[in-house]
Amino acid sequence: MKGVLLLVLAALLAGCAPADKRPEIVIQRFFGECGAVYGESIDVASAETECGILTTLINRFKAENPDINVKVNVVAWPGYPQLAAQLAAGDPPDLVTMHQSVISDYSGRGLIEPVDGLLEQAGIEPADFTPAARAGVVKNGRLYAMPWDTIGRLFHINTDLMAQAGLMRGGKPVLPRSPQELLAHARQFKAATGKPYLIQAQVSAPDFHVALLYTYLLAQDVEIFPDARRIRLDTPEAREIVTLLRQLNEERLTTRNQDFPAATASFIQGEGGIFPVGTWMLGAYEAEAAREGSPLSGSYAVAPFPQLWGEPSAFVDGHAWVVPVAERTPAERAAIARFLAFLARYNYDWSRTGQLPAFAGVIGTEAFRQLPHRTDIAALARIGEQLPDYVERQGAVQGLVGEELEAAISGAKPVGEALADAERRVNRLYAQML
Amino acid sequence: MSAAPSSRPLSPLVTGLLLVGAFIMLAPMLWTLLLSFKSNAALMADSGAAFAPPYTLENYRAIFAGSLTTRWLLNSLIVSTGATLGVLVLSSLAGYGFARLEFPFRRTLFVIVLLGLAVPEQAVILPRHQLFAMAGLHNSYPGLILPSLTGSFGVFFMTQYFRAIPRDLDEAALLDGASRFTLFWKVLLPLTIPAQATLGVFTFLASWNDYWWPLISATTSDYFTLTVGLASAQMNYAQTSGLGFLMAQAVFASIPILIVYIAFQKQIVRAMAGTAVR
Repeated sequence: MKGVLLLVLAALLAGCAPADKRPEIVIQRFFGECGAVYGESIDVASAETECGILTTLINRFKAENPDINVKVNVVAWPGYPQLAAQLAAGDPPDLVTMHQSVISDYSGRGLIEPVDGLLEQAGIEPADFTPAARAGVVKNGRLYAMPWDTIGRLFHINTDLMAQAGLMRGGKPVLPRSPQELLAHARQFKAATGKPYLIQAQVSAPDFHVALLYTYLLAQDVEIFPDARRIRLDTPEAREIVTLLRQLNEERLTTRNQDFPAATASFIQGEGGIFPVGTWMLGAYEAEAAREGSPLSGSYAVAPFPQLWGEPSAFVDGHAWVVPVAERTPAERAAIARFLAFLARYNYDWSRTGQLPAFAGVIGTEAFRQLPHRTDIAALARIGEQLPDYVERQGAVQGLVGEELEAAISGAKPVGEALADAERRVNRLYAQML
Repeated sequence: MSAAPSSRPLSPLVTGLLLVGAFIMLAPMLWTLLLSFKSNAALMADSGAAFAPPYTLENYRAIFAGSLTTRWLLNSLIVSTGATLGVLVLSSLAGYGFARLEFPFRRTLFVIVLLGLAVPEQAVILPRHQLFAMAGLHNSYPGLILPSLTGSFGVFFMTQYFRAIPRDLDEAALLDGASRFTLFWKVLLPLTIPAQATLGVFTFLASWNDYWWPLISATTSDYFTLTVGLASAQMNYAQTSGLGFLMAQAVFASIPILIVYIAFQKQIVRAMAGTAVR
């Protein structure tokens, strides 16, 4: 009984504790929870992985800014259902991690605020960002987020198999410069190694082919979205791209019926030449290449998608920090600006994850260039392109287009029919949107 | 009256088919278990590595080392237990009322309750979320528990059970001078224990496994339930580079459920066989 009374007394005393008068900022982020390893760490340079680096960064910010009360919400990937619920409830966090491709969904409805003023307060100029990063956060002429990185698809290459196929020159893989050359290389590779030239995740990975299609349409300056409520896909350019992918499949110049984990395992096991997948796998493959006894040991290279049509281009996305609309005191706004300035100082450390930095200054540093393969992929920050800033629901659109591309490439549907169906389904989605 | 179980041995063919069926049911669970004991790196290179040693406990260590895992486990226990107790109390009282008492609009109200069975949660999620926001109930235990208490199934289930109990018992108790509440509390409620156990188990399991409502109501990690908390702990592309950890999470989250199943398997089997209300 005495124990219970003591507990009640303690609870009452806790309730009577003086209120924290420091300005409070609530940071909501994805990238997982790793408090067990990095809960107390403030040594950013020694942190690894997206979760580890971000957890350490926030710990360090707290330690360096004791006058700010920082609260952190770690949300289940990607966190948008929670954010929508918080916005509906009128209680959003102050800073949120968001994919750049998603920003239009929120900025168009006035749910996040332009951050030009906050960035100015933080001493950050729009010119500080790489072209790809800046394009990802400018919506309707305003900056709606501080970009944090650029993520894109790359050719991850098994150089040992490429050498067996005679596709290495001067220690670098020889990549095709036209669709015809791609087919020729793929056939040459298969004849020499008995293995498929490409490894592709073609099952339950709708975004996989969409990234290829968008990249090569953007490279030809094809207008994919003529306006905010309409996609145009049934075009000669799109047909040509999808037909090439279908031909690779028909001639078994690529792996088939693999999902993303299976395709990843195939690449690590050396079962194919090139795996076109994202920047985020660079660290994992580099580690595998450094491991003795691995089929990938000492034989890994990486490059942006080759220029098969038009101009050099790459369809990219990126992570960014947005500020949901809410009433805030000047002290709270100053605390947000201070956090953004802090993050900007550590953008190099984030680039150790494999993603490209959003700040152009980082790309020119020796430290960045010393990171494995970064000079090979730095071009993404320049040639990276996103969809027009008025395009909303990009994830849902990718899902619909991806399903139809899977059908076309696997041979289940004629190419023209699949593209027309994709166009019809996406336009119906937009027609139903409020 | 239920028939006595047959003591006749099963034919080899039936036994064989049952064994095959049992293996098909168990194989995914065993596979999950094996995957959970493999390192993420080994599985990224080859998911078939699950069937050969070496095995490791590193994924389970990572779960227990998680700074908030025990908190999420406690939250799940509080929410599931609170929801179960609440549903049992409210459903018993409402079921008794609908089955035994005469009051205006009784039939209409019961039809409204039945209609509730046809309304999916997704249809009411937005107004409910707004309502809870206005009441300041998000990020709180009441906010996580209260929506479970409004389920129609428990009321319907208990009403049917009370209806199956002979009214002679009521008359005898009332003749002996028992009040309505005494009749409910001391005579009829003890007879509904099998139904209470069944309803309790189902409510607990549903609450434990619930993901959608805790995901949007609990936005601070202190109030995450285990399902939401474990999901938040996943890195991106967990299915590729964190498969072992993902499977260990699945095994860990299912352990309490497994315990509930084992402890209450008789009630669950009876409920599945549709005999709990007879």
